[in-house]
Amino acid sequence: MLPLGLLVSGEQAEIMEIKGCKGAHSLDLEKERPGDEQGRIEDMGIRVGKSVQMLNNGGRGPLLLKVDESRIAMGRGMAMKIMVRRKG
Amino acid sequence: MSTMTEERLQGSSRAALRAEKKAITVGVAGNPNSGKSTIINAIAGTRLHVGNWPGVTVEKKSAIFEYGGRKIRIVDLPGTYSLSPYTQEEIIARDYLIHEKPDVILNVVDATNLERNLYLTVQVMELGIPTVVALNIYDEAEKRGHTINRRVMEDMLGVKVIPTVATKKIGLDDLLKSLLEVAENPSAHCPKHLNYGDDIESAAKMLETQIGLTPLAEKYPPRWLAFKLMEGDSQVSGEIKPDDSGLSVSKAVGHLKTAHDSDIESIMADARYAQAFGLTREVLQKTESGNIELTERIDRIVLNRVLGIPIFLAAMWFVFKLTFDVSKPFADWMSAMTAGPFKGWAEAILGLIRAPGWTVSLVTDGVMAGVGSVLVFVPVIFAMMFFITFLEGSGYMARAAFVMDRAMHTIGLHGKSFIPMLLGFGCNVPAIYATRTLENPKDKALTALLVPLMSCGARLPVYVVFIGAFFSAHAGTVLWSLYVMGIVLAIIVGICFKKTLFKGEAPMFIMELPPYRRPSFKSLMIHTWEKGKHFLIKAGTYILAVSILIWFLLNLPWGVENKKDSYLGKVGQIIAPVLEPIGFGNWEAASSLISGVIAKEIVVGTMGEIYVAKPEDEKKNPSTFSEDLKEVGTSFVHAAEDSAANVFSTVGISSLSSKEDEKRAGLKAVIQKTYTPLSAYAFVAFVLLYMPCVVVAIAMRQEFGTWKWFGIAFVYQMTLAWGVAFLIYHGGKLLGIGG
Repeated sequence: MLPLGLLVSGEQAEIMEIKGCKGAHSLDLEKERPGDEQGRIEDMGIRVGKSVQMLNNGGRGPLLLKVDESRIAMGRGMAMKIMVRRKG
Repeated sequence: MSTMTEERLQGSSRAALRAEKKAITVGVAGNPNSGKSTIINAIAGTRLHVGNWPGVTVEKKSAIFEYGGRKIRIVDLPGTYSLSPYTQEEIIARDYLIHEKPDVILNVVDATNLERNLYLTVQVMELGIPTVVALNIYDEAEKRGHTINRRVMEDMLGVKVIPTVATKKIGLDDLLKSLLEVAENPSAHCPKHLNYGDDIESAAKMLETQIGLTPLAEKYPPRWLAFKLMEGDSQVSGEIKPDDSGLSVSKAVGHLKTAHDSDIESIMADARYAQAFGLTREVLQKTESGNIELTERIDRIVLNRVLGIPIFLAAMWFVFKLTFDVSKPFADWMSAMTAGPFKGWAEAILGLIRAPGWTVSLVTDGVMAGVGSVLVFVPVIFAMMFFITFLEGSGYMARAAFVMDRAMHTIGLHGKSFIPMLLGFGCNVPAIYATRTLENPKDKALTALLVPLMSCGARLPVYVVFIGAFFSAHAGTVLWSLYVMGIVLAIIVGICFKKTLFKGEAPMFIMELPPYRRPSFKSLMIHTWEKGKHFLIKAGTYILAVSILIWFLLNLPWGVENKKDSYLGKVGQIIAPVLEPIGFGNWEAASSLISGVIAKEIVVGTMGEIYVAKPEDEKKNPSTFSEDLKEVGTSFVHAAEDSAANVFSTVGISSLSSKEDEKRAGLKAVIQKTYTPLSAYAFVAFVLLYMPCVVVAIAMRQEFGTWKWFGIAFVYQMTLAWGVAFLIYHGGKLLGIGG
């Protein structure tokens, strides 16, 4: 298992675990609760058991994944909290 | 039919009555980029009305039209992936569905991405409201070798499933027919109860029975409410306080919790996803095509590590250039028209009715000048909205955010914020409006606060006059230094705000990059118009009011001869001491700066009024009405030609070629006597930084629904302006420069 953020462009993997991403939100504008981030990425189809393909990982900055038919850009911090298993 | 009697009608008679009298309400739900908007645009066309959801700045699109002899009211809900309460969009969509109870839900599903879209469908079905599913982008799915068995899908869901291609208007007639059919006979098209497994179902059943005994059953769909209570949905629990209603939630979920050893929310999410997965497996057949999609091929270049940023900057340069080059001739035309023929006509009409002199001045210098300053913004706003709509519609906007994300992180912002900032150099007003492309309210607020530090075009005339008077030898460098000052301060202020007002982790960055699509001209036009119209109406009225106010301040008390004795002059005298430490403590400067709140270029105009005695009314031959009319027409044609020419010339127009009329030359002479080079530089720096103009204020108010952010901008900018001017003036003095 390795964090999603370490996949190289072109590699495929299966999601094994999504660690809770608890962020502190202090501003009243932002109604997010801690733990909601995990819910949000799951709602976008990034779930345990899913196959993903790394489309663009420049080593720094956000990365781009393909999950099913959608391309999802994701911050690096979050990608490091998603554990995957490389596929042949 | 009064609501009183309507309320008394129950059951079928009520439904029948509704069928006859009331419009059918259709709520449109779907994932972002599922083509919801395209469907609505195609169906509603120009009847589309764009407003905001109450209290928030999320766009609300709706339309009323007739089809098959029935009135249909269609409401577009924000695009969401789920109906959980994670984001503002989700809360809006679900509040609408629960509390407004549309007659029919139109669930738009992206046929190319079935599983994830069905996850939302599964949740929509929990509401028990009659539903029609549109399998949109069906052609694309077929092209990729996907076949969807729609009969099986209809059987499994219990609702109608209609394949559509909104961009080509295929299937829309079927869709509308189905909507009518469902509205006529709602009970036959209520979605099936999908079985979430024994543990969940028995817990839900228990709660549903309890809910059925309370008045809550009237207000909420019981099955949905049971699910939400089980999940411990914070919003729902807050609304109904289950303990007060005598609902024993913990008892109902007790078994579920022990049996699954996980939190209920995840159990439920998994159950729903299992449904979406199962449905997809049953109805979808894929034949893999080895083709790499066009979108992916474009992305390989556009998002390339090396090429990404240069391509983005080039794209932005084009947008920026096109916006201002296309709009500038029209803006010039508008201002020339309001200052020339229109003003002349107003004077002539007022002369005919023998209006007293002060009314003439009020109308021409107050009202018409005010209207003029609004109209001048119209071309640039519309041009900007057009290009932004294009970038969004084509799918590039999301890529821009991706590419710029890292660089913008230094000031706690996302890549998407770069676009409004850049636009700010042209005009801060559209830049503020452009912040609506940022979903996160935090990013939006911080971006809007920093936008006014980008030196807009309206500040240029002020720079030109002062630089011309003092630094003509180094005009370019001095001008450049002002722009750079704005950028550097934006970075510093951004970091400060991030550490104070916007404390906490940078918000999570996750967004879907839609496939590239060619936006249809019609939808571009509709959206541009809707966005621009908003500005025209709202901003127009405010600017007008402020212009009139300033006019009064400058011309009261009646018959004031010397501007120093006018109210504006008096206020200027009061404020002047505050400006003393920063090098220009005279009432003339103070009064000009006050008038600059309408638009910063007005500073120059007011200075002209104050410093330079009014030139004797040049007796130019009064032109006839028909001559004027001809002038209006021909100059518009010239403007259109210039605009078209600018599109093709890369050199473009040089905005610095301000007309050196005599008045301005006179003004320069006076300024040279009143200011030193140092205080002049302090003054232009002050003009760069001090409070944003009224139009920006209105834009901020409109975008955020509160004056709070403008208030913050006002305070920090005033402080910053004063501080920086002080540093320049006294720092310079200490160093012995230009003192």
